[in-house]
Amino acid sequence: MSDLKNLSRAVPGHDLKLLGSAPYVYHCHHFNLFHDQTVEDALGPEEAFEVRCRAARRASRHLLADAVRMAGAATPIERLQLAASIFRWMGQGDLELLAGADGGAARGNHLHYGFAWREKYGAKVRRKVPIDAFAAGYASAATEVAFDLEPGSLCGRETSCFACREPGCEFSITTGGEGDTTAPVDAAGVERRVGTPGAGIGEERIAAITQGLNDFLLGVGPDERGLVQGFGIYVTRHLSGYYDQTAYDTIHFIEQHAPQATAAVEGLFGESGHVCVFYTFGNLLLSPEWEGLVGPVRGEVEEVVTSCTAIARALGFGHWTISELVPGERLVLRTASNYEFPFYLERYGRSAKPRCYFFANAARAFMQLAHRVDWPAKPALTEDLYQNLFKQGLSWHTEETCCCARGDDHCEVVVTRRS
Amino acid sequence: MSSDFMSQAVKDISFLRAVFVITMPDCLLYSSWLRADSQWSEEEVAAYFGDLFRANRKGLKALGSWSSDMQVTIEAPDNLIIMHELTADFVTACVFERSAALGMVRLHMKQLIERIAASLPDFQSEQRPRGVRVVDFLNRYAPDPHAVLLRVSLRTRLPLELLEKPETLTPEQVAQVEDAAREILGLQELSL
Repeated sequence: MSDLKNLSRAVPGHDLKLLGSAPYVYHCHHFNLFHDQTVEDALGPEEAFEVRCRAARRASRHLLADAVRMAGAATPIERLQLAASIFRWMGQGDLELLAGADGGAARGNHLHYGFAWREKYGAKVRRKVPIDAFAAGYASAATEVAFDLEPGSLCGRETSCFACREPGCEFSITTGGEGDTTAPVDAAGVERRVGTPGAGIGEERIAAITQGLNDFLLGVGPDERGLVQGFGIYVTRHLSGYYDQTAYDTIHFIEQHAPQATAAVEGLFGESGHVCVFYTFGNLLLSPEWEGLVGPVRGEVEEVVTSCTAIARALGFGHWTISELVPGERLVLRTASNYEFPFYLERYGRSAKPRCYFFANAARAFMQLAHRVDWPAKPALTEDLYQNLFKQGLSWHTEETCCCARGDDHCEVVVTRRS
Repeated sequence: MSSDFMSQAVKDISFLRAVFVITMPDCLLYSSWLRADSQWSEEEVAAYFGDLFRANRKGLKALGSWSSDMQVTIEAPDNLIIMHELTADFVTACVFERSAALGMVRLHMKQLIERIAASLPDFQSEQRPRGVRVVDFLNRYAPDPHAVLLRVSLRTRLPLELLEKPETLTPEQVAQVEDAAREILGLQELSL
């Protein structure tokens, strides 16, 4: 575990996190499931699995190659064991890697996606297609790295899935992949794209809380299942390249092939930002750990928004700052670093429109939480409360007015009350 | 059916917490009475119990043991719920305190059914458009219902504005929405 902690570092001043040279963030199962569900809704289950598996393999291979080098893991077995340890440390569950250079199998227990899906949706929906594309891609990448195979030479497929009410998760790893020559978006790419970090309202408070949370997060580790469970959620340390590639490839596909559905796909990726803030940020604010670190939440708007900004920084979402805050009326957040636009610029080049869907919608959710939740009453952040807060339409409008992906020198999101 | 009528109909019926009169097959609330200490969402109760009653009807027909005067009794921890078919177009769901004796409740039900059934209009049910029923079904059963129309829009490529007026959908569009609904819910068939 100490080796894995050494693998983790930050991009100085930008509140971005790296595993080796692979960018990563913390996200909960509510976000992860909603994000992947949107890819499925857009592309259909089979193509979505391919897209997610490919993104997972590419991002994971990058991480695993760094880890193997840093750990000096020379033999395939050492490398596979290291890969399984990293997978657990990420909170992704327990993955047995059983393949050789000619392919083979992998087996998963308590995999984050399948396990959490069944817990969250299993009583309501019968799932018919496997869900653990991330594990499939990761297993392929780990085998490629273990046996010094070319990137993209192996393919992962989930043949049995816990989310489909099967006893466990099984994967086949086969040769014959089409290869992958796309360069990863790594630390160098991120550092090339981020701007100058700024300061804003409540900076001193935000910085102090961020530091405390960073210290706290360093001590967070997986349980015996390989899951990280706390504050009523399952948390992952997840590769942001996975989120970025799956989201942007999906949105680009829709923009090109079904432009009439662009608003829907953008709206749903934005919705995953609401989900994240409500469950992860909200539960953290109500946790005993928060009370120990900061004190109980009184519920003042500035207090909640500065707290959320500190949480965003600690989770590796970037050096977000509060440029304006008028309770009941308006919030302006800015950043010259997040986990979205650097990937976009590196992979696709400049965009004609803003591309920070998570940043824009998380900001809106900040205002929703700050104005609609009775914090002193310590409400349970249940699905019912979520539906109540977000079902009748949001009382806030959000717009990304500046975006680095579009060529601006910072990203800015303006949240205003709907008239 | 006025609230005055409902208040009269439930007079002298002890242990009663609520009465819902539900139109079938659409599961819409036709009329209701709630005791002052009951805070339920009447439309929601009507929708879910209407669905339950319809499924029960189908199940009994599949067993060949359906009869129009059958009753469904649910013994929940704090409530005793009895559902009864009033006519082909109406069912009622009555909620009693759990402590009420079942024999007494059945007696009260008999009185209530007679009073309510006698006052029901001669009702020619008009089936709502299928698109409306599919969207209603999704709103009731899909996870994350606040986002479900966006999901259907993305799956079908139909604009959200169109899905917000499901009564205007063409038969082909309804079929697309129904396919999306089945996939979202993991069902072979929607029980509309």
